[in-house]
Amino acid sequence: MATIAAAKKEKSVMDISKPANFAINVFFWIYTAICIIPLILVLVVSFTDEKTVLLNGYSLFPSKLSLSAYDFLLNDWLNVVRSYGISILVTVVGTIVSLTVMALFAYPISRRDFKHRGLFSFIMVFTILYNAGLVPFYMMYTQYLHLQNSILALMIPYIVQAFFVLVMRTFFSNSIPTELIESAKIDGAGEWRIFAQIVLPLSLPVLASVGLLCTLNYWNDWWLSMLFINDNIHINIQYRMYKALQDLQFLSSNSTAYAAILAQNPNFQLPSETVRMAMAVVGIGPIVFAYPFFQRYFIQGLTVGAVKG
Amino acid sequence: MLSKSKRFKSTTLLMAVVLMMSLVLAACGGNNGNEGSSSSPSGSPSASPSASPSATDSASPSASPSASPSESSGVDVSKLEPYEIKVLWEGPAQKDFPAVEAAINEYLKPKINATVKLSTLDWGQYNDKMPLLIAGRSPMDVVFTAQWNGHANNVAKGGFLALNDPKGPAGNLLEQYGQDIIKTLDPAFLEGAKINGFNYGVPTNKELAAQGGVLYRTDIAEELGLTEQLKNVKTVADLEPILKTVKEKKGSAIIPLFLKDGETFNTHYMIQHDYLGDTTIDGLVRKDGEDSKVISRFEDPAYMDQLKLTRKFFEEGLINKDAATTTLGTQDAMKKGNVFMITSSMKPGKDAEFANAVALPGKIGQINLGPRTVSTGETAGSMLGISSTSKDPARAMMFINLLHSDKYLNNLINFGIEGKHYVKVSDNVIKPGPNSADYNPGVAWELGNQFLNYTFETEAPDKWDQFKIFNEGAHKSPALGFTFDVEPVKSQAAILINVGKQYAAALETGSIDPAKAQEWYDKEKKNGLDKVLAEKQKQLDAFLASKK
Amino acid sequence: MEQAAQPNQAVLSETGKRQKQNVGYWRKYGVFYLMMAPALIVLLVNNYLPMIGSIIAFKNVNYQTGVFNSPWVGWDNFSYLFSTTDAWNITRNTIIYNVVFITLNLIIGVSLALMFNSMRSRKLAKFHQTMMFLPYFLSWVIITYLVYGFLNPEIGLLNKTILPWFGSDTMIDWYTDPKYWPFILPIVNTWKGIGYYAVFYLAAIIGIDKEYYEAATIDGASKWRQIWSITVPLIRPVIIVLTMLQIGRIFYSDFGLFYQVTRNAGSLYDTTLVIDTYVYQGLVVTGDFGMSSAAGLYQAVVGFVLVFVSNLIIRRISREDALF
Repeated sequence: MATIAAAKKEKSVMDISKPANFAINVFFWIYTAICIIPLILVLVVSFTDEKTVLLNGYSLFPSKLSLSAYDFLLNDWLNVVRSYGISILVTVVGTIVSLTVMALFAYPISRRDFKHRGLFSFIMVFTILYNAGLVPFYMMYTQYLHLQNSILALMIPYIVQAFFVLVMRTFFSNSIPTELIESAKIDGAGEWRIFAQIVLPLSLPVLASVGLLCTLNYWNDWWLSMLFINDNIHINIQYRMYKALQDLQFLSSNSTAYAAILAQNPNFQLPSETVRMAMAVVGIGPIVFAYPFFQRYFIQGLTVGAVKG
Repeated sequence: MLSKSKRFKSTTLLMAVVLMMSLVLAACGGNNGNEGSSSSPSGSPSASPSASPSATDSASPSASPSASPSESSGVDVSKLEPYEIKVLWEGPAQKDFPAVEAAINEYLKPKINATVKLSTLDWGQYNDKMPLLIAGRSPMDVVFTAQWNGHANNVAKGGFLALNDPKGPAGNLLEQYGQDIIKTLDPAFLEGAKINGFNYGVPTNKELAAQGGVLYRTDIAEELGLTEQLKNVKTVADLEPILKTVKEKKGSAIIPLFLKDGETFNTHYMIQHDYLGDTTIDGLVRKDGEDSKVISRFEDPAYMDQLKLTRKFFEEGLINKDAATTTLGTQDAMKKGNVFMITSSMKPGKDAEFANAVALPGKIGQINLGPRTVSTGETAGSMLGISSTSKDPARAMMFINLLHSDKYLNNLINFGIEGKHYVKVSDNVIKPGPNSADYNPGVAWELGNQFLNYTFETEAPDKWDQFKIFNEGAHKSPALGFTFDVEPVKSQAAILINVGKQYAAALETGSIDPAKAQEWYDKEKKNGLDKVLAEKQKQLDAFLASKK
Repeated sequence: MEQAAQPNQAVLSETGKRQKQNVGYWRKYGVFYLMMAPALIVLLVNNYLPMIGSIIAFKNVNYQTGVFNSPWVGWDNFSYLFSTTDAWNITRNTIIYNVVFITLNLIIGVSLALMFNSMRSRKLAKFHQTMMFLPYFLSWVIITYLVYGFLNPEIGLLNKTILPWFGSDTMIDWYTDPKYWPFILPIVNTWKGIGYYAVFYLAAIIGIDKEYYEAATIDGASKWRQIWSITVPLIRPVIIVLTMLQIGRIFYSDFGLFYQVTRNAGSLYDTTLVIDTYVYQGLVVTGDFGMSSAAGLYQAVVGFVLVFVSNLIIRRISREDALF
């Protein structure tokens, strides 16, 4: 009785029939398995004995386990910790600055009474459509801004992402009632005050979700470290991991270099299959664990943000 | 109407923005120009000889051509301004760089009044990043470079200084500050590493000759009674009965022959092809011949015959099935323990070295196949260049000269500090020290003169003597000293490389029918092969004519 | 949006005198330009100023003499893109794969979002959503190893375990036969990226006002009908934005997917070689930034034209859905 009552209470127009719900559930369990099994595989392989992997291939149930991959990585633990530190610093500061700058741009172009909003939207969109390429961008940062080996070079390139600005613009123009802004103006509030005291507080959802996407961008980036950091010490965690993988790929495809290295240092060891997977775990681990916590805001923010273009 | 006028206004504004941007840009451009001429020594070619390393007049070539009475120390130290030499090589960064730098500086100051700043680009990074560093005009002095990591392109883009161009901005550096290099280095090295008549890098003094061959598991050979048979192998065809025996007796437990892209019997070191530069662009002369006519690989009967033979091996199940696509290195394959034989480039003591590397000490044998030869690829396989952004190229050359002649410095940079990173067993033999993990660059083949290197106690103590014998009497490729400049036909080259990738790995590992070679050849012809061959021939002829 | 703004504008411009209006305009809206300034500066540095550098596509650059002093070479740097006998092949591959990817991202993305939305248990829906997003975190390098773990001809999961379940004992050589890859690549690409797209669509669907559905239910419309006549039309703006952005990049392809996941196996080129991998391959050896800039320019111009045209078409059909 109680359950029926509860079910009735919850039932809304959105609900679908039970068999359909069951089918969807089954489908999603299968799909979730398809998504998560490879990740578990990565985790398991990282704990597998190297020789077992080479001979039997990847397996979820390896015959022999080993911690040697993590041993190899933590050999270098001081650098790993430093890289984590850089990743966290860049991600946190970058995300905050980025949100501020983008919101400041998105607000004017969301105002229907601002006559140049089409033009400035276009200036934004155009950056998605045309990209000058690596070399001019690189020269700009190294020869004109002199940001080589600077932590700023890891942040500035991702501060303004046109796509996110568009998402914010849509949210502002749809979810902030025009009357609210009008009445604030009548009360004598300037645009800065309106922005800080009305727009921002009402936009927490979109700030949270764009913030999460920015966080992902910054956290997952290895490319900027590759371009701008030369000392190989002040690099972020993703690049530290990526670099080792690249070395591996390079050496396994460039026999000249490989032979030359071996000639000099016969004990040279390449990171092995298991180490690669351990590196993936070290690189993505924190963000994967953090993700479900963020996700709550994530959907909510985009929710309102995306509707009614 | 209203909307029209609105759009008009937007257009005006857009134009204003563009105009503004171009103004900003012009300002930037102008700024750039100033910067170039004031700080970078080679910013404007016309002004450079006098304006260049202004900080070091005493050492600058024009001021004191005869400033070096004693050759080993090169110059009068008291007249040199202090200078920091930025050294960049390829390999992993080392934790103890600061300690080693300090030790080097202490030694270097009285010699050439310089300090060093060591840094590296990791293996996978170099090819991506070096062109960027050159494009970004990053300050560097002594830089590792090699034919296989884009040396010719980087020279073409203005990345490196000519070291023996008397008319160059820095003068003939090699002549003035590199006397020890000229004295100790086999002339074939410098001759072979030239581009358009000049050296843009000083080759490392190491093994010069190249030879192909195979490495195999002696323990398995013994078990199957193949040892005698292996001793009598003279050609690749002789290997067939041996591999077949392995296959019959060991079944699927052992892969008789492991091949991969770039490690086959058709790879240049085995088939004696000199591609005059990058091995992925067709057009070659045979290293073991005298003929300087540039031919396509398909016009070389030896290449075609070898394709058929490899295919036969493959069809008989003697080669690993995934040979065309595997990215597993031959060393890792051997380490797995289920591989009997691989191909390899050879040198003295390769077997023992390799055995250590794959943790099978004493269980690896080597068979050399074919002649020992020398081509540009070997001579330019490892060099130290001087960046065109160097503020004091003379000092950089002095430093390279010391790496080639000064035993203490050479071993210090290669093995670190005695008692810390290595321990001496006897005069020239060492073993790893307590902190060897913190400084173990493992790149002695990049830095100077290997004949000065200590040997590890696990190596043959007469390693370097064996090398000298190995180098003597190697056949010189008719194109030795020539490197193809791809610029005039770069479009065709870019296309041919793509065409080649489609077939090379599969054909050369025997994974597909050799008849496909015809298809490859046809496709190359349709995509400008003749033009590339003609250009290679033209450049080679000009080179040979200039040599006479 | 534009239409809504016009009456306002009309009132303003009709009442005030021109000059007066200008002064009023700057006093009223000047602060907006100030607000936008930081982002504009960043765009200038990151995007607009480097665009001038595109001239290296028409130059033979020598960095010692500097970009601006290097000689012009006209269209030389472009010729390798068009003079190869594979030109048609790589263009076709690039476009077809992208069209397939865009379509799959749209159809599967929207379907998944609809299904999430109709699940009865919110908690479960959220759980599955999270799981679906996970592959997005894996780098292509790692995915390459995973795919190889499946497709390795000798010890791969597919040949060794899964195919025998279905009674097939033929060893398929996945990395030498190009005919499988038009299926493998879209599967891998969708698996990795669909979580991202689905979440955007889901967000849009959740935001739809429930009243629409209530009214439709009262009218007796079936679930299917509701999807077609309420949900899809209402999330159309999101669909358009996401799709247009992908169209703009139709001449680009994910390098990791096409180069690494295929292990750059030459025998697969018939179905796997795309513009980006083709360009990369040639440039590793020729090392010429002029040529890579030429390719980038070509890709961008085509993408730009396509977006511009599709935006025009959308403007014709329904003005307020246009991107700009």
